[in-house]
Amino acid sequence: MSATISQAALRELVTEWIKQGKRVVGPREVKPGCVLYEPLESSDQLLLEGFVHPANSVKEFIFPKHEELYGYCITGNRIELIEVKPPAGEQVLIGARPCDAASMPILDHVFNWDYKDELYDLRRQLTTVVTLACTAHDDACFCTSVGLGPAAERGSDAMLLELDDGEYEVRCLTEKGKALFDGKLQASERVASVAAGPEKRFEAQQVWAFVKEHFDSPFWPSETLACLGCGACAYTCPTCHCFDIVDEGNIERGVRARNWDSCQFAMFTLHASGHNPRPDQPSRQRQRIDHKFHVYPEKFGEILCTGCGNCTRNCPVGMGVLSVLTAL
Amino acid sequence: MSERPEFEPKIVAFVCNWCTYMGADLAGTTRLEYPPNVRIIRLPCTGRIDFNLIIKAFEIGADSVLVSGCHPGDCHYTSGNYQARRRWILFRELLQALGFDLERINFAWISAAEGHKWQQLVKEITEKTRKLGPYKDLYQISGSGDLASSGRGASRCAPTVPVEACGSGAWQCAPTDEAALRETCRRLLAEGKVKVLIGYGKRGPVFVTRPDDVEQLVWNDHCLANLTVYLKRKEIRALGRPAIVVKACDERALVVLEKESQIDRKEMHVIGMACQGMGQEKCETCDVRVPRFADEVMGEAAKQPAATGARWKSLESLLVLPTAERMDYWAGEFERCVKCYACRQVCPMCYCERCLVEKNRPTEIEPSATAKGNFAWHILRAFHLAGRCVGCDECTRACPAGIDLRLLNLSLAKAAEEHFAYRAGMDPKAELLIGAYSLQDKENFIR
Amino acid sequence: MHNIYQPDLMKVIETRQQTPDVKSVKVRFLEEARGKEFSFRVGQFGIFSVFGYGESTFNICSSSNWKDHLEFCFRRVGCVTEALWSVEEGDVIGFRGPYGNAYPTEEWKGKNLIFLGGGIAMPPVRCAVWYVLENRADYGDITIVYGARSVADLVYVDELDKWAKHPKVRVVRCVDPGGETPDWKGEIGFVPTVFERAGVSAENSVALVIGPPIMIKNTLPVLYRMGILPSVVYTSLENRMKCGVGKCGRCNVGSFYVCKEGPILTMAQLARLPADY
Repeated sequence: MSATISQAALRELVTEWIKQGKRVVGPREVKPGCVLYEPLESSDQLLLEGFVHPANSVKEFIFPKHEELYGYCITGNRIELIEVKPPAGEQVLIGARPCDAASMPILDHVFNWDYKDELYDLRRQLTTVVTLACTAHDDACFCTSVGLGPAAERGSDAMLLELDDGEYEVRCLTEKGKALFDGKLQASERVASVAAGPEKRFEAQQVWAFVKEHFDSPFWPSETLACLGCGACAYTCPTCHCFDIVDEGNIERGVRARNWDSCQFAMFTLHASGHNPRPDQPSRQRQRIDHKFHVYPEKFGEILCTGCGNCTRNCPVGMGVLSVLTAL
Repeated sequence: MSERPEFEPKIVAFVCNWCTYMGADLAGTTRLEYPPNVRIIRLPCTGRIDFNLIIKAFEIGADSVLVSGCHPGDCHYTSGNYQARRRWILFRELLQALGFDLERINFAWISAAEGHKWQQLVKEITEKTRKLGPYKDLYQISGSGDLASSGRGASRCAPTVPVEACGSGAWQCAPTDEAALRETCRRLLAEGKVKVLIGYGKRGPVFVTRPDDVEQLVWNDHCLANLTVYLKRKEIRALGRPAIVVKACDERALVVLEKESQIDRKEMHVIGMACQGMGQEKCETCDVRVPRFADEVMGEAAKQPAATGARWKSLESLLVLPTAERMDYWAGEFERCVKCYACRQVCPMCYCERCLVEKNRPTEIEPSATAKGNFAWHILRAFHLAGRCVGCDECTRACPAGIDLRLLNLSLAKAAEEHFAYRAGMDPKAELLIGAYSLQDKENFIR
Repeated sequence: MHNIYQPDLMKVIETRQQTPDVKSVKVRFLEEARGKEFSFRVGQFGIFSVFGYGESTFNICSSSNWKDHLEFCFRRVGCVTEALWSVEEGDVIGFRGPYGNAYPTEEWKGKNLIFLGGGIAMPPVRCAVWYVLENRADYGDITIVYGARSVADLVYVDELDKWAKHPKVRVVRCVDPGGETPDWKGEIGFVPTVFERAGVSAENSVALVIGPPIMIKNTLPVLYRMGILPSVVYTSLENRMKCGVGKCGRCNVGSFYVCKEGPILTMAQLARLPADY
């Protein structure tokens, strides 16, 4: 026994969600050839085929690229802090890839390991994730090398799997997912077949061992020469979560906010004294691999990577973690 | 009973200390009345006016801006105002492309003796602005006075020419050229003429240090990157004397870099590859095709005539939009910006040790990926490349958010050509555009 | 919603200029009730901020026994510290904390303590010194060696004298060769050299060494030669921080998050970490 929904019915549902005031986010072709996860204004903007992975990730919707922490008003030597409104308003991520959905339970660890980041937690609670299983992959995908796959269920509240006739099998995986699709599905006998994922490209365990043992190896300088030190990989990565805290405003009022940051920027670890523990690109690239494949698993038991391939696709010079990992 | 008008325009005037400020002072001491709507910001010289300041004025609520200084020939610092004038010409073009209402920005020469002119101009600008009404575009974008961050609205897309997919592999002679390239590189390395070869590999740039590794090199229609960006990176410089593979469009960057004293052409070996086009939008109108200053050139150039007349074609879809819609378009584009700075890092001209956006004493450009921070960044980036951008379009290709940065670069390249007959990186003997000036630079917009 | 990034407001009750570019600041919670319930353990740090300029991380250099104020000390080097420099009595700044781990004062009980500090690194040593002096009976002999580039660069100079008055406390102060003034009565030499000359006993000792990397590099061999093992030589690691709560991914040295598992650690622990600091 399974449940299915037609594309038309699915789009009708999307329209309903939008009408209900939910923020509905899904893959959208913002311009020819450029597909991004974006808030949808109408259901016809939702793209369900013709792409492997949007150029960005869904993390922006639970961990915004710029988030105000609080405001402040300065009058003489009096300061008044203005609290931010807690995140409110339900949102539905529809058409998320399994690699994006899986990133969220992985990120939950760091945002909750002692101090609970309620800004993040509240957004998570307000979000229902409807994943779209993959029917194709490209050269940059490597979800199977990090324990995931084209229909991996981690982090999904419901999953859509394409059937031969263009309809979708819907698997409701959590109460949230069930509630979202309540009464909208057809009972069915049809079960979707799951596509074969990409071939395994490397052994994640070996990466951990390599980074620990070869910290000072000339491997890093030689394999990372092409890196230009931008933040395209980190910012399009579903699991990168490094951030900066800045004050912005004028002499009377302003906000303290957090912004995405990337360990690839030269100033990321620059001390005020001028000392920089990671003074060159090889050491910064090493940190990226180290953090994702050694530090995070050591601390939280999970690899900080879901193999979505965005880093490789978005890297202006074709690098991404894959090039380093396969060279190991 | 006279009605008090509801709207009192706020005019911000950036004036130079020696002439216009004195002129305004003179207006005061000679009791010439002028509207109190003007707020004067005094600077040593118009040459010092950074364009972020003008943008900032609008961000915080100015309805019009006046920029004024000494007459040409009278600058207290000899040539500051000439430098400024040239920049003003280019900046106006950029503002036009962005959808700013140029009626809101006024330029003038007012000397210390021209108290009357100051009075006249301020009256005129105030009345003009009163009729135009409040200018809220940038103020609203910047979220000034509003603690809530601007919501994430929909992105508007102006009709743009679609970027064709990367080439179809239908190049003539490519495998032969590739073999010739590898052989040349093998020889260079084996003979010790260079220590590292910067070239194209299967997946991206490669840095070959051993003769046998030249097999990594490729030459085909996927060789998109502008490799000249690596010449200034310290990890590459540490490898020793380089040989570098350049297409003709990339080579223009070498010309500019050398004129700006960033590289020494003698310290590298340049292998020029004649190109049949990479399927990018820039290739359709490319008129360079064959590197002109390389140490050796190989490969076959595309045969069909260059559609150079159509070089500004992509701008048409932008310029056909009315001003307000143009700004809407850019607001939509910039909203997707995540401040990854891929555009900056791929650009061979962005070689500053510390970019202005990374400075915080003071913070000139907010690093946040807000509408305000993004607008300020992209205006800065485009303008700092005015007259320097060689049109390799790497910034556009690198942007993960699909922002059409080349439109900004093109509008400034067009301005440089139309006003100054200047194309960056074409003539090694030509004077640089920015940093130089001519007594004949056009003045028709300056009062 | 409890916002972990929102600071407490602190009133500045005193600022003191210690050297041409170093100031110390005493602050008190604006909200009395909050001040009463607040406590920290000596060695922990806080994130202090000037609204409009940003946040900065400083060790809380007052003893955890003092309930009426917190103190921090900073060098004027950048955006936030420049703003802090202009802060005056009565101004309000922000504070988040306490974060990080603390000095293992329990483990130090009964031991002889050696405190070695260099330059601006004195403040994190200072709080430890006051703490042990306030629980004097719990600890053995105390030796303090403190040096700076020049006489003008010494911080908390007046307190050095106060410490020396306590029983079984030996204070040695020094300046780098060339940094002395004509009336300088202390030692002349680098901290490691002066310390070695001082002939301190290594018996039953632990050491706390905080200073510029070069000072630490040269002090460790002296300590090890004396027989003080890396597992009892402590230091406070500095690294660039932002959130202070282990989320922003900036301060890690390998898998050691300085803001959570540090900043206090032993040389033995440090030796196991990659050279990422």
